[in-house]
Amino acid sequence: MTFADISRRTFLTGAARLGAVAFAGAGVPFMGMARAQQVVSGSGGLHRKIPASGETIPAIGLGSWITFNVGNDPVLLKNCADVMGAFFAGGGKMIDSSPMYGSSQATIGHGLAALGIARDQVFATDKVWTGDENGGAEQIAQSAKNWGISRFDLLQVHNMLDWEDQLPMLQAKKAAGELGYIGVTTSHQRRHELLSVIMQREPLDFIQVTYNPLDRAVENRILPMAQERGIAVIINRPFRGGHLTKALRGKALPGFAGDYGAQSWAQLILKYIISHPAVTCAIPATTKVDHVRENLAAAMPDKGGNAGKTDILPDILPDEKMRHAIANAIGDAL
Amino acid sequence: MTDWWDYHLIDFLLFSTRVYYRLFASFNLAFWPVNLALYLAGAGLVVLVLRSGTGAGADRQRWLCRLVPVILALMWAWSGAVFMGYYYQPINWAVPYVLPLFGFETLMLAVFAVRKTPLQFCWRGDFSSMAGVALLVLAIPVYPFFSLFSGRDMMAAELFGSAPDPTMIGTLGLLLLARGTWRWILLPAPVLWCLITSLTLWAMDQDIAWLPLVAAWLAILGGWMDAKSGVTRKPVATPPGRLNSTHHQTDKVGFIE
Repeated sequence: MTFADISRRTFLTGAARLGAVAFAGAGVPFMGMARAQQVVSGSGGLHRKIPASGETIPAIGLGSWITFNVGNDPVLLKNCADVMGAFFAGGGKMIDSSPMYGSSQATIGHGLAALGIARDQVFATDKVWTGDENGGAEQIAQSAKNWGISRFDLLQVHNMLDWEDQLPMLQAKKAAGELGYIGVTTSHQRRHELLSVIMQREPLDFIQVTYNPLDRAVENRILPMAQERGIAVIINRPFRGGHLTKALRGKALPGFAGDYGAQSWAQLILKYIISHPAVTCAIPATTKVDHVRENLAAAMPDKGGNAGKTDILPDILPDEKMRHAIANAIGDAL
Repeated sequence: MTDWWDYHLIDFLLFSTRVYYRLFASFNLAFWPVNLALYLAGAGLVVLVLRSGTGAGADRQRWLCRLVPVILALMWAWSGAVFMGYYYQPINWAVPYVLPLFGFETLMLAVFAVRKTPLQFCWRGDFSSMAGVALLVLAIPVYPFFSLFSGRDMMAAELFGSAPDPTMIGTLGLLLLARGTWRWILLPAPVLWCLITSLTLWAMDQDIAWLPLVAAWLAILGGWMDAKSGVTRKPVATPPGRLNSTHHQTDKVGFIE
């Protein structure tokens, strides 16, 4: 039996079982791939396993690029804290930032303090972004100060800038227990060749790349390689910085969207992304409380007959055939 | 090794249009008396400069040529220190790299304010004068209304004297109305800022992104035409109506430098 021969229901039932087994802590194959990351959780929606440790995190995170760079504006700082509040209330955990994102780190720190978020409620993800071979440690210390925390769960080399110097520094910090995981990021397809070299050569826990129904280059090489090498994958720019959802505004959703509980294009796009077996977490950024709830709901069981059934979660995600249908539907709508 | 040039322009736009324009609203709300005073002072100066070409007395020219650079220096210092340093820098890590432009221009304007041979500001009726007036009209009465045209609150208006863009454009306008070869040392800072702000506005998909670029181009073109006609080297005492004449006077008043 080939993958194409598997009916949607057969696939979903099997996937649900696999998810339930994975939740019990067992490493099981998913769609014939070497490592399974899909996990079912009773609360907070779909979780995914970090291959390096087996720790699970919610499949929907929160980005901060542009949206949290609000400077000293008290109205906008409160707005961002409200977004974070809705994110944590909905079971979200990973928040991603970078020293490159202006005041975003400080905004996150403000939100964490204002909301009284316990340290273990947040999966603190940041980056090191410097061409100064000796400047990384100092930058990390400043980033931690901005967040108001003492230790990051994950630090990545932003856009692989000076990765030859920064990765060893991060590896040393991880070995010393000063951070949880290390990784590299890129948002550019033209950097995939270098990314694949680093993935082969260095012991990475995470990579962060751009992926959505229109930007699918990572499907060819990067995502399969991540699965093969047991590297968790964070997906940035799921909505192309908002341009994709803006372009789709007012366009009719395809009829099959309802089959997966997708109420909007944003949810359909997120379902497309997190249904890839290599993807650990997508990090859409937003300034709206409604949108953060909508994003989180993309990885939640629907509110109909499936509510409360933890083993039904994979039913909310499309299979490979339907993933192609989603990409085609978006291409047709634009 | 991945280098800085691996980035696209859009990668460096780290803030939203909403956040950017809210900076001006917060700035105006907090410092409206200063911003309004500088705006009105700037508008008043321009009126005096334009009237000085219509037979104004020597006394007025004497203090006007000192007052214009003083007021402009205050505008550049205020815009650089308060708007750029306090409001803009938190959302744009590149601001410290452009702050020296503001410092340099402030210093140079202060030097011109006390220099033995000051700049002369007047209407000459040539291309540079017309371009200068056009830029001043854009910077002072027109620019604040872009906020309204774009659906924002009038409180978010960018004012000549405090907001960088109209201040730079207005400075270029006044430079085109000035005489003196050394005035061109005041040109690079506003021209560079116009290029930077055009790129920023373009990345933010703003309709007015081309305006600062056109302002910079007009200033450079006007400067080139002035240099070609020799108008900047005419003696100080040359009446405005004779500035375009090729006949060089040889009085002892001294040449503009």
